[in-house]
Amino acid sequence: MNEIFVNMGQIGVIKNSGVLVTVGLGSCVGVSLYDPSTKVGALAHVFLAKSRGNADSELLPGKYADTAIPALVDLAVKAGANRDRFEAKIAGGAHLFENTKPDMPSVGQRNVEAVIEQLHKHRIPITGKDVLGKRGRKMSLFVDTGIVIVTSIGQQPIQI
Amino acid sequence: MSLAKTVLITDDTAFMRMTLRNVIQKNGFTVVGEASDGEEAVNKYKELRPDLVTMDITMPKMDGISAIKEIMKFDSNARIIVCSAMGQKPMVIEALNAGARDFLVKPFDAQRVVEALHKASS
Amino acid sequence: MREKLDFLTELGNIGASYATTALSKMLHDAKLKLTVPQSRILSFSEAANYIPDPEEVVVCVYMRMVDIFDANIAFILPMNSALALAGFLTSEKSEHLTDLGQSALLEVGNIMLSSYLTALSMISGAKLKPAVPAIAVDMNGAIWESILADAGITDFVTVLETHFSTEQIELSGHLFFIPDHDLYEFLSSKVSGFLLEEST
Repeated sequence: MNEIFVNMGQIGVIKNSGVLVTVGLGSCVGVSLYDPSTKVGALAHVFLAKSRGNADSELLPGKYADTAIPALVDLAVKAGANRDRFEAKIAGGAHLFENTKPDMPSVGQRNVEAVIEQLHKHRIPITGKDVLGKRGRKMSLFVDTGIVIVTSIGQQPIQI
Repeated sequence: MSLAKTVLITDDTAFMRMTLRNVIQKNGFTVVGEASDGEEAVNKYKELRPDLVTMDITMPKMDGISAIKEIMKFDSNARIIVCSAMGQKPMVIEALNAGARDFLVKPFDAQRVVEALHKASS
Repeated sequence: MREKLDFLTELGNIGASYATTALSKMLHDAKLKLTVPQSRILSFSEAANYIPDPEEVVVCVYMRMVDIFDANIAFILPMNSALALAGFLTSEKSEHLTDLGQSALLEVGNIMLSSYLTALSMISGAKLKPAVPAIAVDMNGAIWESILADAGITDFVTVLETHFSTEQIELSGHLFFIPDHDLYEFLSSKVSGFLLEEST
């Protein structure tokens, strides 16, 4: 099976077959878009909530929630997807370090909120999620079926 | 000096409290209480009035320096020994100025802790 | 640039030496091997790819200092090393990390990281006040990413990395020091000062 790894700040897009995978989702949020009618899938690994016009030396579209969702839509549509058929799934936004309380809201929480806000703005329904908590996650989108599996240590993989 | 001196142990790690408790009790002292942050240390001091206190510095809620100041305000004769991972000179001076009698940097051996407690209780 | 990094490497070397001396004492004077620290300035993408096996389960003790300077310092052990070290300290025999074992590792991390910072403070004159240490047991990639996000790193990041090991028990781990840009400039200004004196 064709596995494509999506790193922090990146977006991956494939069609028909293969799996898009992102690991290392701590406070980051993995966002998948899938159009079942054309079997186009896209996955972003979002690092922070707002770009605030940061003059980043590298333009990684998936890095911030407010640039990642429009970029996901754009790339998926370019690959042939029908934007009216999109379903989104999200995973991540955890606070890993035990025995410390994060700032309220934590980086992970802010990421989750920002991603949800952006998806609502683009009128994309969220059909699955596994967010917040204390565990790191790995997220895989299987493009032939649209199934998303989330894995964490110490537990069975779950389908969201 | 027939009664064993009583000690209150303060550290935010369970492991460290257990280690200190073992060393202290094996060497003729009685541990009467444990605290996991500065605030708890101040409260337990007022409640238990131990002869001696071991105090960590870097702790949540209230740090060791603040706790030392609070305890000294309550009892200017309090005998507090700092046991901390932080060994920077300005920090040692700050603790001693706040009223601590001694400053031990982790990791320390059992001998050193016992010596410090004996010295502080005389 | 190279001189600045070399100076940082030297600082990292001394910091790591202090840290491993402290660890050695806790391991009844075991002999610890240290590699020469690597100082690198990474772009965001390079930082994203930094961890060779992001799914590896590790134990990380981490401190984030926010003061005049911001810095992040972390100690990371693969699970089998974590179990060996915890077992040695607590005298417990367990295949899983118990609460006491985790507490012992938190304390070891605390002591090592504080020693590292004490050394850096002494040499550079930078005021580096340690924070309450935090512990996580999770996938290496998720931990690394959380540290970067917590530090608000969105662009270049300076990383000082040292690897240590001992044969006394099966132990091998990493120390990471990540100064913010202001601290990096402060530390490397020591080098400029040195160079200026040389030329007069």
